[in-house]
Amino acid sequence: MNHSIIDLLIRPGAFFQNAMNEKESLKFPALIVLAGGIAGALYGYLIGGLTGQLLNGIMPGMDSIIVLTTVIGALVGTFIFWVVWAGVMYAFSFVFKGQGTFRRTLEFVGYGYLPQVFGTFITFVIALDYIPRIHVPQLSAAAAQNPELLTEAVKALMHDPAMMELSQIAMIISMVFLLWSANIWIFGMQHSRKLSPRDAALCVGIPVVVYILYMVYSIAVM
Amino acid sequence: MSQIRFISLICLVLLAGAMVGVVAGYSTPESIVAAGKVYVSSATYDPAVFFPGDKGTLTVEVTNGNENDTGIVVNHATLSSDKIISISRPYDSSSNIGPGQKKLYTFSVTADASDGTYYPTFSLDFRDADSLYYRTIAKIEDTPIVLTIVDQPDTFTQGKKKTIYAQVANPRENTVKNIILDVSGSGITATPSKIFVGELTPGAKVPVNFSVTADQPTNLHLVVNYDNGDNPHTVNMDLPITFGVDKKQANPVMSNVLVKSDAGIYHITGDINNAGLETANTVMVTSLSPAVPQDPYKTYVVGALKPDDFGSFEVTFAATNTETVPLQLTYKDTDGNVYNSVQDVKVSANNADQKSTGLPIIPIIGAIAILALFIGGWIVYLKKYKQ
Repeated sequence: MNHSIIDLLIRPGAFFQNAMNEKESLKFPALIVLAGGIAGALYGYLIGGLTGQLLNGIMPGMDSIIVLTTVIGALVGTFIFWVVWAGVMYAFSFVFKGQGTFRRTLEFVGYGYLPQVFGTFITFVIALDYIPRIHVPQLSAAAAQNPELLTEAVKALMHDPAMMELSQIAMIISMVFLLWSANIWIFGMQHSRKLSPRDAALCVGIPVVVYILYMVYSIAVM
Repeated sequence: MSQIRFISLICLVLLAGAMVGVVAGYSTPESIVAAGKVYVSSATYDPAVFFPGDKGTLTVEVTNGNENDTGIVVNHATLSSDKIISISRPYDSSSNIGPGQKKLYTFSVTADASDGTYYPTFSLDFRDADSLYYRTIAKIEDTPIVLTIVDQPDTFTQGKKKTIYAQVANPRENTVKNIILDVSGSGITATPSKIFVGELTPGAKVPVNFSVTADQPTNLHLVVNYDNGDNPHTVNMDLPITFGVDKKQANPVMSNVLVKSDAGIYHITGDINNAGLETANTVMVTSLSPAVPQDPYKTYVVGALKPDDFGSFEVTFAATNTETVPLQLTYKDTDGNVYNSVQDVKVSANNADQKSTGLPIIPIIGAIAILALFIGGWIVYLKKYKQ
C-alpha cells in the first residue's frame, strides 16, 4: 500500500487509479472497517449502558448482557454493513453494465469507510459529554408483566432532552461523514466497476440518499 | 212454768251476748277515758304521692297513751274513701293494744282519681268505747320525671362516635327510685346502652351522658324506667339521628398538585392542608385504578394534621391510556373512624407536554441542506467533467 491516507480522503480519484494497478487486497480495508467497528463498539457501549440501566430493574444483571450484546453487535454489524453497502452498489452497477470483481468493489468500499471511522469516534467523544445528562427511567420488576409500561419507558428514554440532542448530533455527524464516504465510494465504484463518473455517482448516490432520508425520517418520528 | 220461762230468757240473753261478744263490750267511764288516750301518732303513704292508678300502702301508727295497766281492745280498723280505695281488709278481727304500746295498721290502697289531694278516713272501733276517726292526707299527681337533652352534635356522621349530654330531673313532690335510662335504635351502637341513675329526690336532677355511633340515619329511642313506690313508670323520647356534614370535622384539602411523568411512571407531589377544626390523624395518599401504585411511594403517609396545619406528599404510580387518575386521601378521627376522599388529577396534559417535543426542524433542515449541497456539488462536478 503505497498510497497515503491523505490521498484517500482528499483525492480519492487519484488514490483509486493507483490502487487499480495493485493486486486486490482486503487487508487494509478490513483494518479500516475494524477501526470503524471499534469506534462503533465504544459508542454502543455507552448507549447500551443506558438501555441496561433501564432494564436492570426488571432483571438484575441484565445491563451486562445488554452492553455486551451492543458492543458485539456494533463490531460485527460494521462488517456486515460493509458487505451490504458493497453488495448494493455492486448490484446497482449492473444496471450500468459495470465490469470488475466484487472483491475489488468490497476493497474500495472498505477504503471509503475511513471518514466514518472519524465520524463515529467524534460521536463517541460527544456522547461522553451527553450520556451523564441523560435521565434513565427506573422500572420495577412488576413492569415485566406490563409491556405497555416497558414501551413507555423506552419512549421516555428516547425522548429525554439530552438523548434527543445526542441523537440529532449523531445523525448530522453520521450523515456528513457518510457523504464523505459516498464521495470516496463514487470514485471507488468508477474504477472498480469501470463506470462513468455519472453512473458511479448514481450507483452510490441512490442508496446513500435513500439511507440518509431514512435517517432523517427516523429522527423526525422519534 | 215461770221457772222454765226464766231459764229460757237467760239462755236467750246469753245467746245474744255470745253473738255480739266481739263487737260490743261493756262501756264504763274508765274504758271511755282509756279510749280517749288512744291516738294516731302517724299516717304514712307509700309512695308519698301517687300517680293515678298507682297502688301503694297506708301505714297508720296508733299509740295507746295509757300509762297504767289499761289495755285497749280494738274490734276492727278500716279505711274509707272513694278515691284512695282500700283493696284489703286485714283488720276485721279484734286485737289488743297494750298500755304505752304502738301498733301499725297497714292498708293496701289504689289511687283511683285524677290529680288532687284527698282525705281518706282511718277508723278504729274500740270494744269498750266509741270509735276513733282520723283523716289522712293522700296526694295524686300525674307528673312524670323529665328527660332533657342538654347538648348534642349538630349532625351525625356514619360510623363516627358522638356524645349526647342528657339530664334526668324529678319535678314530683316525692322521691322516685330505680331510675334506668335505656338507649337503643336500629343501626346504633350506644355506649353505655343502659345507665342506672338510682333514686332522685324531689326537685333533683342528674346528668346522664352517653356516646352514639350510628351506621344509618334513624331514630334514637330513649326510655327512662323508674318506680314510684312499687309502680313502674316510663318516659320515652325519640331523638332523630340525621347524617350531614360535621361542621367541626377535619377537612384535609389537596393542593399545589404537580404531575411529572417518567417513563410511564408518574410522580405526583402536592400539599395537604387541614381546613377543618379537628385533627386529621394518619393522613395517607395513594393512587387508585386505573393507576397502578409503584415504588418508591406507593402510599404516602403524611401523618397527623392539626387544624390549619399542612404536610407534603408524593405518590408514584404507572398509568397508561388514561387522562385522569384518582388520588385517594384517607384519614382517621380520634375514634379511629376512617374517612376517604377522592380527587381526580389530570395526567394526560402533562404526558402530552412531555411528548410534545415536536419535529426536530433544525437538524432535519440541516441534514437536507447538507445532502442538497452534496448532490449539487456532484452535479456541478459532473457537468464540468463532461465539458
